[in-house]
Amino acid sequence: MPEMTEPFPFRSQNLLRRYISRAFAGACMLATLLALTIMFVVVGYMILKGVGSLNIAFFHNLPLQTPMGMRNCIIGTAILIGLAGTIGVPVGMLCGIYLHEYATKGWFTVIIRLVMDVLAGTPTIILGVVCYELIVVPQKHFSGWAGAIALALIMIPIVARATEEMLRLVPLAAREASAGLGASPAQTLLRVVLPAAKSGIATGIMLAVARVAGETAPLLFTALGNSNEVYNPNKPYPSLTIQIYNYSQSADPAWRHQAWTAVLVLVTMILIFSAAVRFAIRGKKFSQI
Amino acid sequence: MSSGRTNPTIGTRADGGARQLYRRWLDHTVFGASFIGVLAMIAILLIVFAVLIHGAWMALTKIGWHFFATQAWNPVTDQYGVLAFMYGTGLTTFIALLFGVPASIGVAIFITRMAPPFLAGPVSFLIEVLAAIPSVAYGLWGAFVMSPWLQNYGENWLYHVLRHVKLIRVGKYPNNHYAWFPANLVHGGPSGSDFLAGGLILAIMIVPIITAITRDVLLQFPTELENGARGLGATWWQTTRLAINYCRIGIFGAVILGMARAIGETMAVIMVIGNTDQVRASLFAGGQTMSGVLANEFLEADHPIYLSAMFYVALVLMVSTLVTNMLARTLLSGINRRN
Repeated sequence: MPEMTEPFPFRSQNLLRRYISRAFAGACMLATLLALTIMFVVVGYMILKGVGSLNIAFFHNLPLQTPMGMRNCIIGTAILIGLAGTIGVPVGMLCGIYLHEYATKGWFTVIIRLVMDVLAGTPTIILGVVCYELIVVPQKHFSGWAGAIALALIMIPIVARATEEMLRLVPLAAREASAGLGASPAQTLLRVVLPAAKSGIATGIMLAVARVAGETAPLLFTALGNSNEVYNPNKPYPSLTIQIYNYSQSADPAWRHQAWTAVLVLVTMILIFSAAVRFAIRGKKFSQI
Repeated sequence: MSSGRTNPTIGTRADGGARQLYRRWLDHTVFGASFIGVLAMIAILLIVFAVLIHGAWMALTKIGWHFFATQAWNPVTDQYGVLAFMYGTGLTTFIALLFGVPASIGVAIFITRMAPPFLAGPVSFLIEVLAAIPSVAYGLWGAFVMSPWLQNYGENWLYHVLRHVKLIRVGKYPNNHYAWFPANLVHGGPSGSDFLAGGLILAIMIVPIITAITRDVLLQFPTELENGARGLGATWWQTTRLAINYCRIGIFGAVILGMARAIGETMAVIMVIGNTDQVRASLFAGGQTMSGVLANEFLEADHPIYLSAMFYVALVLMVSTLVTNMLARTLLSGINRRN
């Protein structure tokens, strides 16, 4: 019978299957290689182009001095993040606490989660537009406060989600033990659950900071940027990202070099932050308090 | 565990129940504070919508639906239409997905199903480095590294490959009748600052997010199915196809999430797309996106209807990201429910 004497069609089909499999495996490897190459090219160019103007003056001088520097922008970004965190972190943490501790299954919880997701997905430039309309227009001038609030709005959903997830990781046994010793729900939360989850929540906050540190779009209409040393949040505020954007639009090569160096410094700071977060997550297991 | 603690509602302790009162006060305060936090978050979203609608009100009433049917954007003659920017956002997002999605899924498959453990971790980490780079840094890289390269090499090559590919575009005869015309996919000189550049920079930016979610979703493919398929003689790719099929909703959710990111992205795109308000069928034509026109012109809007039209653009942008995000959320929550 042909089935027994002619294994050929089956074998060829097997070979074809195998070749197709190999081809797709190769395609996946190629995709990975491509993505990694692009990553190295992007980071490599930032280092290559940025390292040229990287000197003490960059951290010590102001943009209008010679040699040029960005001291005010670095400090300005740090203060902006600090202000944003002061506003955004408490609100975000409270939302996370509510979602995990008090939210019941029902329409209100559904709405809260919906709002959180919508806010997290809002294009940041829209938050800038809103803060411009609500703060800059009534004040009649650009200000660090407006920028800080715009950044805070970005932080809130990130911190809320991180807080909720970290509270979920605290074992139920710890809560039961606390309740068994006579603690009220709030006491359990404040003295047992939050301390247990604090490193996780800190990690979430750092993630939010790393995210916000690179934001430019919400600051365009709010903080506006400033080449002078101004640290009063009631004035147009210096920011590293805005300065990078402004420099990148200029034709002066010296300014472009400054932009590359600023990008290098910014990305280094964000990467160190992110790496620290990863390290912190790896070190902590929530099984024991 | 004696007298005082048996019934916390009755103040039998020596302090006359002050401690109980404090506990109850603390409970109420913590609940109240967190409830206020939640209300604040809801209020923020409502305020965002209120500000956008209030700002756009004049344009909404004066321009209305015509906004979506007008190509021209000319503040001098008070002509405002969002079509050119929707086209720019749509085209760049499409290019980003075209290049970004296969690459991300390939990387995710490599990490979950091919790489040995010592490689999977570092590769994941290196891809996540792409996510940590801020968009203004991508913009700088795009404007000063990628665009010149595209202008000098990439687009010349692409022109020779794609010059005979015809698209169809809607055009108007002199007698105002609309008709379909053939159009080249690539025409005009390569400038490096065009839809293609905007799409490519977005492709790089959405790779880490789609990869991360696809990886997590693929990890949920049950081992029994994997073993069963291999036992029946399926090759690696046939099993992988099974896994992709099994996780398709989650992967689709990841793609939509990447799409939402691409739609809302501002800085990197405005630095490479050329910033011209036009609808052109060519990949080599400069253009503008919705977020880009906001970034470039919002502060220059010097008369009321112009400013109102800017708010209208912001509203359209907000609604389109809202819809895509909701879609992604629904798809991804379906995944969680299944597991």
